[in-house]
Order: sequence, then C-alpha cells, then structure tokens
Amino acid sequence: MWRVALKGIAAKKLRVLLTSVSVVLGVAFITGTLVLSDTITRTFDTLVVNVNGGLSAQIRGKSAFNDSQGNAQRNRIDASLLDAVRRVPGVHDADVSVAGLGVIVDKTGKGLNAGQGPPPLAFAWSNNTALNPMRLVSGTPPQQPNDIVIDKRSADRAHFVVGDQVRVVIIATKGVSAVYHLAGIGKFGSADSPAGASLVFFTTATAERLLAQPGKVDAIQVQADAGVSQNTLVSRLKTVVRGQPGVEVVGGAAVVQEGQDNFQRAFGFFKTFLLVFAFIALFVGTFVIYNTFSITVAQRTREYALLRAIGASRRQVTTSVFAEALVTGVVASLVGLGAGLLLASGLKALLAALGIDIPAGSTVVTSGTVTVALSVGIIVTLMASLFPALKASRVRPIAAMREVAIEDDRPSLRRTIAGVIVTALGLASLLNGLFGGGGNALANVAIGAVIIFIGVAILGPLVARPAARLIGAPLPSLRGVAGRLARDNAMRNPKRTASTASALMIGVGLVAFVTIFAASAQASIDHVIDSEMKADYIVSTSSQFSTLPPAVETDLRKVPGVELVSGVRFGSMKFAGSVKQIEAFDPTNIDQLFDISVSKGRLADLGLDGLGVYKTTASDHGWVIGSRVPVQYAKTGVKTLTVRAIYTQQALAGPYVISLANYEQNFTEQSDAVVIVKAAPGAAASVRPGINAVLKRYPNGKLQDRAEYKAAQAKQVQQLLNLIYAMLMMAVFIALFGIANTLALSIFERTREIGLLRAVGGSKAQVRSVVRWESVIIALFGTLLGLLIGVFFGWVLVRALSDQGIDRFSLPPGQLVVLVVLGAFVGTLAAWLPARRAARIDILQAITTN
Amino acid sequence: MNAVAQDPSQKRAGVAARAVDASKVYGQGDNEVRALDHINVEFAPAQYSAIMGPSGSGKSTLLQCLAGLDQLTSGQVFLGDLDITNLHEKALTRVRRDRIGFIFQSFNLIPTLTALENITLPEKLAGKDADPAWLDQVIEIVGLRSRLRHRPSELSGGQQQRVAVARALVSRPDIIFADEPTGNVDSKAGAEILGFMRQVVREFGQTIVMVTHDPIAASYADRVVFLADGSIDDELVGPTTESVLDHMRRLEV
Repeated sequence: MWRVALKGIAAKKLRVLLTSVSVVLGVAFITGTLVLSDTITRTFDTLVVNVNGGLSAQIRGKSAFNDSQGNAQRNRIDASLLDAVRRVPGVHDADVSVAGLGVIVDKTGKGLNAGQGPPPLAFAWSNNTALNPMRLVSGTPPQQPNDIVIDKRSADRAHFVVGDQVRVVIIATKGVSAVYHLAGIGKFGSADSPAGASLVFFTTATAERLLAQPGKVDAIQVQADAGVSQNTLVSRLKTVVRGQPGVEVVGGAAVVQEGQDNFQRAFGFFKTFLLVFAFIALFVGTFVIYNTFSITVAQRTREYALLRAIGASRRQVTTSVFAEALVTGVVASLVGLGAGLLLASGLKALLAALGIDIPAGSTVVTSGTVTVALSVGIIVTLMASLFPALKASRVRPIAAMREVAIEDDRPSLRRTIAGVIVTALGLASLLNGLFGGGGNALANVAIGAVIIFIGVAILGPLVARPAARLIGAPLPSLRGVAGRLARDNAMRNPKRTASTASALMIGVGLVAFVTIFAASAQASIDHVIDSEMKADYIVSTSSQFSTLPPAVETDLRKVPGVELVSGVRFGSMKFAGSVKQIEAFDPTNIDQLFDISVSKGRLADLGLDGLGVYKTTASDHGWVIGSRVPVQYAKTGVKTLTVRAIYTQQALAGPYVISLANYEQNFTEQSDAVVIVKAAPGAAASVRPGINAVLKRYPNGKLQDRAEYKAAQAKQVQQLLNLIYAMLMMAVFIALFGIANTLALSIFERTREIGLLRAVGGSKAQVRSVVRWESVIIALFGTLLGLLIGVFFGWVLVRALSDQGIDRFSLPPGQLVVLVVLGAFVGTLAAWLPARRAARIDILQAITTN
Repeated sequence: MNAVAQDPSQKRAGVAARAVDASKVYGQGDNEVRALDHINVEFAPAQYSAIMGPSGSGKSTLLQCLAGLDQLTSGQVFLGDLDITNLHEKALTRVRRDRIGFIFQSFNLIPTLTALENITLPEKLAGKDADPAWLDQVIEIVGLRSRLRHRPSELSGGQQQRVAVARALVSRPDIIFADEPTGNVDSKAGAEILGFMRQVVREFGQTIVMVTHDPIAASYADRVVFLADGSIDDELVGPTTESVLDHMRRLEV
C-alpha cells in the first residue's frame, strides 16, 4: 500500500505541491517566529551578561512588590555605604550605580531614541573596567560636573565629536533639560551601542543630582578578589547592611538571571503575538489540506474500490491515504522550515518598517525550533487527512463498477445537528471568556473563536447552494452562459464550495473583526476626547521610556495665556494583596481639564491621603465616601487612604486616582506620561508659540490640540492594525491557494465538459470566465461568512469591554466594502492559473479519452 | 440518390467539406504511424455521409481534422470555400461555433444545464438567441418537448443523445459531424437518432458527416466512404446494411 501511496504522489506532483503550500507557509511562520524570538532573546541575554560580566555582587533596595508590568520597584540606597563595602575582605573594588532615562538631543533639535524602540538610558560613569562595559574610543571620562560621555552610535547618528555642546533631557524627578560638554565617546564592548539604546554617562555626583538625589544611588556594584566566590562575598556583604531591612545583597549571577528573566517577560508578549498568527495560518491550512484530501479521495473512489475488490483491507486503504498525507506533511514541513529561516529576516524587516526595531545578532536555530516546526506541520497534515482517510476506507468494492464517482451532497440532519452543537459550544466558551471573567478568559475566548469557525464550517454546506445561487444571481445577465455555468459549478458541490470558502472565511473574519474593533475603539476614544477632555492641549511622548520630566509642567505654567496645567503620572499600588495601576494629577480645578463625572464627593478634596474611585470599582469593594482603604506604596510602605470622590467615567482616569502631591511623597520616580494644558478664554490659539518654545528644551514632548491628539491616537491604532493586517495576509494567502487547489481539482474532474464546451464553440476566454467567476463566487461566499462572524466577534467584544472604555460599536462601511472587493479579488487571483489551465485543455483529448 | 435534388430550398451547390491530399502522421522513424495517407475526399451539401472502416483505419482522425479539432501533418481541409487548415485558435473557435455542429459518442452534454439550455448552448456562447420557430421545430423533431427542463442525469442515454442532436441542429450549421452517435445507446434509441438525422437532411437540407463502424447506422446514409490504412478504399452510394457488410468483410480480409 505504501507503494500505491507513493505512486499517487509522484503522479500528482502539482496537487501535492498546492496542498503543501498551506503547510509550508504555516510551518515557515512558526519557524520564523521561533528563530526570530530566539535570536532576539539570545542577543539580549548576551547583552545582560556583558553588562554584568564583572559583577560579583550587588547591594540595592529591596522590592516591596512588582508593579503592574511585573517590574521590581526599589528604593534607592545611601551612597555612603560604598566605603564600608570597600573595606569588606574579598572585595577587589566597588562602585555606585545610578541609572535613569536621558534623551540626547541632536543638532536639529530632535531627541534620539525618543520614540518607539530601544530606550534612551542615562548612567553614572564608573572607572572600573570590570563593572563598566564601556570603552572610550575618544576623549576622556566625565570629570567636571558638566561633562558627559555618550555611545558611539548616538555620536555618529547626531554627528557629535568630542568637545561639542550636547543638550540632554533628563527624565526624572529633578529632571532638567541642559547643555553639557561632550568629554568622551565610548563603545559598548565592541559594539557601537547595546542593541540600539542611546547611552549618556555623567560623573557620579551629577548623576546622583540629576537621576536620583545627592547621596542616594540605585545600587552598589561589587567586584570580588580572584578566588572569592559570589556566595562567600554575598554573605560577607550582608553583615555590612545588617540592620537595614530595606536593603538586600544579591550575587552577580542572580542579577544576570533577573535581567534575562525581565526581558523574557517583556518580550514574551511579542513572541506570543507572532505565534498566534502562525497558528491562525496553520488553522487555515488545515482546512485547505482537509479539502484537498476530501476531493482527491472522492475522485479516486474507483481506484480505492478496485483495490478493495482485489483484496485490499480497509486498513490498507486508510493507510495509503495516511501515507500520502505523511509524505506531504514531512516534505512540506522541511520546506517550511527552510522558508522559515528566510522569513525570520523578513519578519524582522517588516517589524523594522513598522517602527519596531530589533537589534542585529547572528541567527539562532535551536533543536526545539526544528522539533516544534516539523512535528506541528506533520501532525496538522495527518489530522486534516483523518476524515478523508476514513471516508476512503468506507468505499465499497462495488463502486469500481460505477460510471463516475458521485459525492453525496445532500445536506444531512447529522451535519446540521453537529454544526449547531459545535457552534453553540464555541459560543459558550467565547461568552464565558468575555463575560464570565476568570483566569482563563483569554484562552476561553480564543478556543471559543476557533470552535465557532469550525462550527460554521460544518454548517457551511447547508447554505452553500442557496448562497452561491444568490451571489451568482447577476452573473447570467452579466456574463451570459459563462456566468450561468460558473454559478452552476459553484452550486454543484456544496461541500466542496463550503470547505474551500471556509479557509477564506477565517482570514476575512479576523480581518473584519480587528477592523471593526479598531473602529469601535477609535470611536470610543474620539467620544471620550470630545466629551471628557476639556483641556485645549495635550503634551505627550511617543514612548513609555521617554516620559516628561516634571519641569515641563512647571515651565508650562509660566507661559503667558496658560490658565491651567496638570501633569498626569501613573504608578502601581497594592490594594488588599493585588497590584493596581493608579493615576495621579493635580486635583485643583481638574474638572476644567478632565470631566470624569464625579458623582459623589470632590476631587479637590483628595489631598495627601484621599482616593478617587470609579463607581463600579467602588461598588465592587463596597466603598462609599469616607471608606478607609489600606494600601501599600513600594517606596513608603503601608498607609491608609480615604475615599473622597467617586466618578462615573473611567476612560481618562482609570479605576483609581490620587493627587500629584500624594504621588510625589510616595513614589520614587516622578515623571509625567502627559501634561494637559488649558488656555485662558480666547487664548487657545495664541498660547501655542509659547508652549512650543518650552518644548524646544524638551524635544521628546509632542504638542497636540484635541483634534491632533485624536488623529495621533487614530494613527497609533492604525499602525497596530496594519501590523495585524500584514500578519493576517498570510491566512488570506493560504486560503487563496486553497481556492486555486480546489479549482484545479475540479477542472481535472470536468475535463470532458470543458472539452465539449470548447468543441461546440466556447472560446478560451469563455472557459476562463467560467472558472474565474466560480472562484469569485466561492471567495465571496467565504468573505460574507467571514464578515458575518467578524461583525459578531467585534460586537460581542465591544459589549464585553464597554466597562473598560470601549463602548461604541462602529461598523466602518467603507472598510467593509473594501473587504468584500478584496474577497472578490482573491477569487480572481486564485482562478488565474486554474483558468489558464482549463482554457488550454486539449479539446480532442478531452472528448475522446474515456 | 441525390439529396440536393430532393430539396428545392437548397441553393448551395458544390462541396460542404473536403480534404485535399490530407495526411496525418503520428510519431517518427520506426514508430511512424500514418493515420491519413494523402486522402482526397469531398462531402456534398445536403447529403448524409458516413465514413466507415476497420479500427485504426483513420476514420475518426479524418472526421476530427475535417471538423478543425485536429491538425493535419500535410494537405488542406476546406469547409465550403474556407480553408481551415491553418486557422488561428480564435477563428477556429468561431468556425466551430457558427458553422459546425457536433454529436459525440458520449458525454455530449453539460451536466449542470437543463436539456433546453444544452440545446441552445452554442447560440448562447455566441451571445445570440436561437431562432424560436426553428428551435420549436427541432424540439418537435427530436421529441423532447416534455423533457426540456430535465438535467442530463435525469435523462436516458437515448434522450441525452437526442438532446445532442438537437443542439447540433439548432444553430443550422453548414455541417454536422457525428462520431459514433449511436455507439453508446441501445439499438432502438439508435435507430430513432439515425432517423432524425436522415430526416433533417431530407427535409431541411442539413449536411451531416458521420463516423460509424455499425453497418446498420451506415445504411441510413446517402453515401458511405470506406477507409482502410489511412486511404480511401471505396465508396457506396445508397447503401444498404447488406452492401455495407459486404464491403466491410472485403476490407477486413
């Protein structure tokens, strides 16, 4: 039977190739994702090792708890500990570490690394070459308070040379924008910069003043004598900090591990994001493979019957189909693996083009990647061929005597029941995930969506015939008899039409869903800005790394014509065991900047110990005005806040707010995510030059009025949307191959018919037209099913998120029409080769072969 | 027997189709097979001609070359005065659509179209409507009135072949080529179909050229051309089953 299967493959190379494409693409995507993320991870792991290569131990503040992003929150320690540390036996050398964010401003006034991508980092310079990975390539270390050293990459980008005056914006509590003297330029080891980050180094005293506060440092870095183990050193150092409960000592290896883990955690999202699309591609591929095997099994009914008639067992027939699937799966997975390596660089370029720059590094291909990619590809192929293989085994020997293989295409009750049950199960999982909450919410939603797609695919054949009739209704009058034949062909085998369309349905469904969701999110944002934002201007930045130093707010207050200004800061606090994000702003007159609809109490009363709470959050906890709420700050520990205001709009404020004064007392880092500005009546336009003058000193800040802010938000949403579209294109592409594959197989089946059509006077163009319009009908059927599901998913998600600020359901008609046109285009494209092939069928051969 | 004389409406004289020094060679060298060997043959308009011969005599090849479905290796094929030997694909398609009718042995119909739609298919492909009066007459001749809305799968083999005959007739082609039209149907249905074909030649001056290996089928024709080894062996005007059988026996010896 193996030989039969292998001969079958050899005889149908094109079919095997077309079937393989879906597996190849899916496996390539997975391989590309894994290789890319392994490469990036390895680059950062190496980086962390390099930064901490000479570090034997670190003394630093203990983290009370991790913030809502999972990052440790540490208090600074006294720099004066350094002397005691240096006296500890086994300590070769020690130096302080002060780190923060500082944007280098180039000669044209633009900030380097102020946007998305690698961060702008600032440090205290250390002369210890074991603890400081930087190597000067020109100039000297910083010696005067006004001296800086920057990395070579930034120096090259901005054309700075030693001796230049360089403006740096420090993003920290005492953050200022000032001009420094460029004393030196350094390389990070042998690289111009670590992974594209920009680096600026100050003297220790300047760094303490700018990034922390005088006498305070982030950590003390210790280099051990040769032969002294990290453990020994750590236990000796612990005696130095005994009696200081907020301070801890950790070994260098642990610091390296932490750094790598932190990166993994931050980066895990990105890897998951890519893998999701890889699995979508494979999911679509499963439909294509299933469909191809179904059709070929049906076409070979006589062959199987003959095998059975001459004594092959059912198991042998099943095995032969599986064998074909296995060979297809193995070959396609191997090709996919190779293509994935190419794709890794393609993905990197794609992300770079979308503004997510990834550092270079040699490509990492692990055995895990190879194993996962190959086994996923092979398993998916085998799974997809399961039903067709079983069907082949049920072919009865008598079928060998029949004239033609006829697929049973009557819609069966069994199919209806199965489809309804599966769809209902998917719905239940989806709704449970969206509205039931719980830890597995996201998984439930994803599984629910997958099951709904499968359920609709099962139900597809029930509606395929009437749907094709409807979609093809205008064809006979548009395209005459060719249109008529196209429509008839599309209606001819509803199972085939439906499962071919299903592949496209998934891609289009997801595209429609994200389009609708993005439009709804945008409509909600617009609504919030229109109805809740009272300020005239918003100053923001394009990166979480380059927030605005508080000096921006102070300086903006001095601009003539500016009436009200408030910075907005975010931080994490612990409420009854769970870490929550809170927002802080200046509560005096805040209602003139934000209207968050305070229903009880007053924001102006927040003071130093007041808490503002969103209505639903308050009622969930049973809080009323005057309720006392115990909280924990990372910096200052446990305190009690009193609920002083309850508000009903949380889109701008989030669930918890405190005053800026409170924030300044209890948080280590002080910088604003945005600063909002209201001009005096009638001065809205005239204050703009004044604000711009301030922002010249802080070039990472962007000034936007409300319309511009809305447009910028829309642009951000659109950017993310474009990335998702690009990823989903893969799924649509695979579906396109699926349609082409089905058409090719159908044409093979209809060779005689096509020959006859040509013999009685059908032109090549007419034959092509028949194939093309059948393809368009199938594609449009898939597109419409997808639209239906996409609209439903979008609607349900908006309902589920109405509590979190996305409460406007928006159907963008233009984009949805574009999607339908795109669907028809996919059909046309998919038909291109099959139609040519059909038109080239040799008439004589077609009508004379039996 | 002269069909032209019997039909006063027939004004065309001369030749409906002819092959001039027509050769068709497959393969090369030792493997060379001459399916047609310098054949010269003419088919008169408004006549029912049959081409007969043993298997491998080249009779189907001759028909296919006359109908523009296959290309000669050398020589020429004329349809009326039109030399179709070297016509381009598009022109050939138009000739098939507008001037030729086909009846094949089997798989004659498009399965998704009804009987009526199959009959009018060539007209539809040309973007025209069939002449309603003539269409009605054709349907009457082949006796399909009650079956027009049925699809091929709902018709018997004989009925399907009658649809094919009607389709060939309805565009009033210059010539109809039939390749073993009764090869796949029982003898009763076969006789009916041959009867219709003779009827349209007699009553409407239709030209038909038919390939067959069945002496009974050949006896319906006005004239039988016998082929052997790619050459014209003989011909018979006003054949009967017996005279055809005699000829065939002689050829096969």
